[in-house]
Order: sequence, then C-alpha cells, then structure tokens
Amino acid sequence: MSWTRSARAVLAFLLLVLLHYTVRPLLGWRTPVDFLVIAVLLSAVRVRPGAAALIGFCTGLIADSLTPSAFGAGALAMTAVGATASWLKAVFFADNIVLHGFFFFVGKWAFDIVYVTAERRMHGVGLATQLLLWSPLSAALTAVVGVVLLLMLRPVLEPQSA
Amino acid sequence: MARAVRSGTRVDTVLLVACCAMALLTTVLPLNLREAIASGLRRTVVAPLVTLQQQAERGRSAFLSREATTSRLDSVSLRNMQLSRLEGENERLRALLGLGRQLEWGFVSAEALRGGAIGEDHTLTLTVGSRAGVAAKTPVVAPEGLVGMVRTVDPSTSLAILWTHPDFAASAMSADRSAYGIVYPHLSESGRAEGVPPERYLLELRGVAFRSALKSGTEIVTSGLGGVYPAGIPIGTVLGELQTSEGWARTYLVRPAVRPPDVSNVIVLLPKKLEDQSIEKIWRSAASADSAARRIAAAGDSIARRAAEDSTRAANTAAARRAADSTARVASDSARRPPARGDSARSPVRPDTPPAGARP
Repeated sequence: MSWTRSARAVLAFLLLVLLHYTVRPLLGWRTPVDFLVIAVLLSAVRVRPGAAALIGFCTGLIADSLTPSAFGAGALAMTAVGATASWLKAVFFADNIVLHGFFFFVGKWAFDIVYVTAERRMHGVGLATQLLLWSPLSAALTAVVGVVLLLMLRPVLEPQSA
Repeated sequence: MARAVRSGTRVDTVLLVACCAMALLTTVLPLNLREAIASGLRRTVVAPLVTLQQQAERGRSAFLSREATTSRLDSVSLRNMQLSRLEGENERLRALLGLGRQLEWGFVSAEALRGGAIGEDHTLTLTVGSRAGVAAKTPVVAPEGLVGMVRTVDPSTSLAILWTHPDFAASAMSADRSAYGIVYPHLSESGRAEGVPPERYLLELRGVAFRSALKSGTEIVTSGLGGVYPAGIPIGTVLGELQTSEGWARTYLVRPAVRPPDVSNVIVLLPKKLEDQSIEKIWRSAASADSAARRIAAAGDSIARRAAEDSTRAANTAAARRAADSTARVASDSARRPPARGDSARSPVRPDTPPAGARP
C-alpha cells in the first residue's frame, strides 16, 4: 500500500472515530450506529491480520476508557472482529454493495456478542433480548450507514488511477 | 518467498494472540487498576474525544429541552408583564389611600368596573350603592382629579358617567380663579387648536369671558357653582384655545387630569361631604395626596429596612460570640493537649477511631 493510500485510509479511520464521538451522542438512538466498528472493519481489510488485531485492540481500549466497568471487553471484541475481518477479506473482496452491507452487519453483531459475553453483566432474558433484538437492529443500522459511508469515502479510499 | 509469507503469518499470529491476551487480562484486572488505566487514557489520548462527546450530548439535551425553555421564557415574560401592571395598580391604590387620608370622612371607595360593550364606553359600574350612602348626582373622584358623576343608584351597585359622556358638564374655573366656564367632553376633532396632537380623551372649557385669556398649562378645577361638584377638584390643564364662531367668549381645549382607561378604583363623595369646604384644600397642592401615599409607603419600607438591619446585627453579634467561644475553647484545649504531630493536623482522628497499631 502506497503512502498516499495509507494516509487516506488513516484519515478515513480518524473521521469515522470523530463521527462516533459526535454524531452518535447527537442522535441518541436506542439502537446506535457503531462508527468504530465500521472504522475497524474498513481498516482491517486493508492490512494484515496482525495489524488489524492491533488496530482493533487499540480502538477497543479507547472505547473502553469511557466504560471502566466493562474495561477490556471492547478491546477483546474489536481485536476479534478486526483480525477475523482481515482474514476473511478475500471473501468480501468482491465489489458488491450487498456483500459489504452483510459484512458490516455480521461484524457489528459479532462485536456485540463478544462484548456482551466478555462484559458478563447481562444474564437470562436481558442477554437474549440484547443479542437477538437490539444487537441485530443496531447491526442493521450500522450496515446501512456503513454502506452509505463506504460509497461516500470510496473516492478517498480507492482513488481512480489516471 | 515462502519463508517470508510464513514469517508474516507467524507475526500475525503472535500479534493476535498478544492482543487477545492483553484484552483478556484487562477484563480480569482489579477494578481500581482498570479505573486507573481508563482514567489515564481519558486524560491523555481520549481527552479530545471525551470533549467532543460531551459537547455533542450537551447539544442534544439543549435541542430536546428547547420547548421547555421556550415555555419557561414565555411564562417569565407573562409574569413580567403582570408585574408592571401590578406595580401600576399598587401605585394607584397608594394614591387612593393618600386621598382617603386627606378626605378623612364622608366618602366611600369603590372598584370601578368597565363594560366592554358598545355604549358602555362612557359609564362605570361602581361596587357601592345606596346601602353605603351613595346617592345620585354625587361626584366620583380619583387621586388625580374628577372622574365623573353617579347617575343611577342600586342598593349594592351604582352606575356613574365618566367625563367623556356626552351628557357630562361641570362648572369650572382656573386654579387662580381668574377665569370661569363650563367643561364639556370634546367630542369632535374639528376646530382643533394649532399644534395640539389628536387625542381621543379631551375636554373643552367653554364660555370663558373674552377678557380672560388662559395660557397653555393653566390648571382647571371645579368651581363649585353648579351645586353638584364641590370646588377645587382638578379637571385638567389647558392645552390651547379652540377657534370657534362665538365672538363673545373663548373656548379652550383641556387635557383631563384623569384618563378613563386608567380608572380602576375610585372614591365617591357622599352628599354630606359636599358641604365641607375643606375639599378645596385637598387638591390645591397636587403633590399632597401623593406625598401622603409616599409617606405611607416609606413608613412600610423603613419598617422592613429596620427589621432587616436588626436581624443582620443580631446575626453578626451571634457569629462574633460563636467565634470568640471557639477561640477560647481551642486555646484551652491546646493548653491541655500535648504538641500535635505534623500529620495530625492534616488528618484529624475521630473520637471512635482506635489508636494506631491497635488490633481489633
């Protein structure tokens, strides 16, 4: 990956992190859009699995710093999602919008499953409701927003060669 | 080539395992350690993001509370409007109180109710009637001057006409008694004096002898000649002369002392009071009624001020006494106690705390 492409990818990543801490609290929805998962997934498919795991770990740790009671759960979930996305990038290499949407959906849902499990705060009906209702809804919304952002950022992430 | 790929895969695996291990480790760290790491991150790397998030959340809550804020602002504005109205009413009532003190006897105060219907522009319903001694053709006055006259009396209410009523007429004179005439409501805009702005509520002083020229600003009062209104009640001030076809008398436009929209509480002079010659002196000095009201208000204010000063003085005395007591107690305690260690001053020991080194 060239310097220019790396810089653009880093800028896109930072932009998504900023969106996570500005747009998300502004909307205040019950099923929030997870811009951090989108950022990690978009970065993970451009780097090797080890680097993707590191990116995921650092991003998760930043997110965890605001929820000390679940400290580490986000880092673990982001590491897993980042590394897995990087390994599976061959599957999603095809330039298909629906496939990308599915990629974001699965990524967010998987993140929630690992996070809630590692957090060990929810049990029984609450856990089931979270994982089978709110998480899929949030994942769906994240997928839609992720696809829209991907279309908007495509000129930045994959510039046309002259 | 194959070795490089294998090496890269190994590095990836090592990184992944290391990250997973660190993440798992952070989940099982003691709470205070986790909080310390999280706090460190919040104060350094995440600080700008935390600020952004706080501002976004503040923006959202401001957006959500905008309706409540607007309605609160509306109620404050409404209350403010009511406050200025109440201040005006309070001022008028104080003036009325002052006038009542000046009159001393032979009057009843009443609330003046105005009907909003057509034809009721020039009448007032008063909340006193014949049971209170009110009779027909008795004057209705306000602290500023003449309001009108009682026309119909019922046991508990009465109907009065304002000076704006077409039937109103009062014998009047200048305050220095140099000119006499009869005051009527000014019902048309025609024949307006030069330089006088158009106004709805004005009076005319008609039949003034041609030799008696009145200057603008001359005070006009009742003359007492008609038998209805006692002498000396202010009617208004001269605005200017009206040009009329009569060559033998002058007519003046008069700005009334009482504006009908401002009338809410009035005083009805009872028939026996009309024979009292002292009424003339009451309004002679325009400031007398006001000054009486002001004296009452000032008395109330000074009592409140005196009470506040007394309570402040008592509080200061008590505080000084407490300070003196505590100083004396500290002095006597420290005289008995051995010299304190440097750290004991920073962490005072509670009386129920066991001494250091003691086992439970």
